[in-house]
Amino acid sequence: MKATGKKILVIVPAYNESGSIKGTLQEIRQTAIDLDVVVIDDGSTDGTRDDVSSLGEEVVSLPFNLGIGGAVQTGFLYAEENDYDVVVRIDGDGQHDVRYLGDLLQPVLNDEVDIVVGSRFIPPFLGYRSSLIRRVGIHFFANLLSWLTRSRITDSTSGFQAFHRNAVKVFAESYPHDFPEPESVVVAKRTGLRMKEVPVQMRKRSAGHSSIRYLVTLYYMVKVTFAVFISMIKKQGGAQS
Amino acid sequence: MNAKVLSVFLALVLFVFIVELVRREKLTFKYAAGWILVSLAGLLLSVFDGFLHAVSRVFGFELLSNFIFFAMICVFVFLSLLLTILLCQQNSRNDRMAQKIGLLENKLEKITKRMDADTNSRET
Repeated sequence: MKATGKKILVIVPAYNESGSIKGTLQEIRQTAIDLDVVVIDDGSTDGTRDDVSSLGEEVVSLPFNLGIGGAVQTGFLYAEENDYDVVVRIDGDGQHDVRYLGDLLQPVLNDEVDIVVGSRFIPPFLGYRSSLIRRVGIHFFANLLSWLTRSRITDSTSGFQAFHRNAVKVFAESYPHDFPEPESVVVAKRTGLRMKEVPVQMRKRSAGHSSIRYLVTLYYMVKVTFAVFISMIKKQGGAQS
Repeated sequence: MNAKVLSVFLALVLFVFIVELVRREKLTFKYAAGWILVSLAGLLLSVFDGFLHAVSRVFGFELLSNFIFFAMICVFVFLSLLLTILLCQQNSRNDRMAQKIGLLENKLEKITKRMDADTNSRET
């Protein structure tokens, strides 16, 4: 699927994912889409980098852990430097089902929108949709963001996203570090980037722990709500970085 | 009177200490400037304490000490906010640097590999 002749880059942020990174990469390679892959090793200490290198895949290793926002932004910088047209983010933990890569890419390849978000909450509901408490949180933010941006958003925490080079340019410059997924929705709205959701499936993480634990979910919700409101009234493209 | 002597003395010690830190390059002038101002203000206010009394009365404080505590707390809140801003700025710069290092390392690796391949192909 290179009909469009566009250069596609898959960013795989990974922090201590040696249990699942190889599987994720092999899955990505099995797709029929002509694409390049870069793993952003976010200061892992468990040999994630060696796992990636052993498969002969490209890896950018950060000297210490920056968190998901900083890691993904590194991918955007890489994409800009190497002149990619389209960027897809697929997390290294195996949560994102690569079979939906084509669906995710299509609207961006057609220049239809600048950001495509893979949503777990658009029918038909097939795969894993997170635990009850987190679903409450996700819906809360989806409603909040829909209201704030006057558009329909169903999955506010999905990191399974595709970006047009317009969006890559904005986010390479400044990308929200704290809570990139919900905040970037607001940034997109403010900077006039067009956005769309497509239905995808997700799986339970194949190894490791999610960075959002049950006990801190409420605290997380309060923080993100605050961050989203602040993001609404920010001056520049995104968070300062 | 003793309190006045003590506070003049402490303000002087602070001033000398800061100048010494700058001299030994433990503090850069950029960050020392604020502290020098603080110590000088402390010195002036200790010497001319009548001014503090007057201001404190204007704001309706019963005791001068209450006013001083209040003023100090305000200064410290402001100061810690300032330090947090600096910290965040440093943090962002650090992150940017980490990203650049990662990208440069990746590029360097690629170039080295290509050079090695070139040398090998020339040798064979």
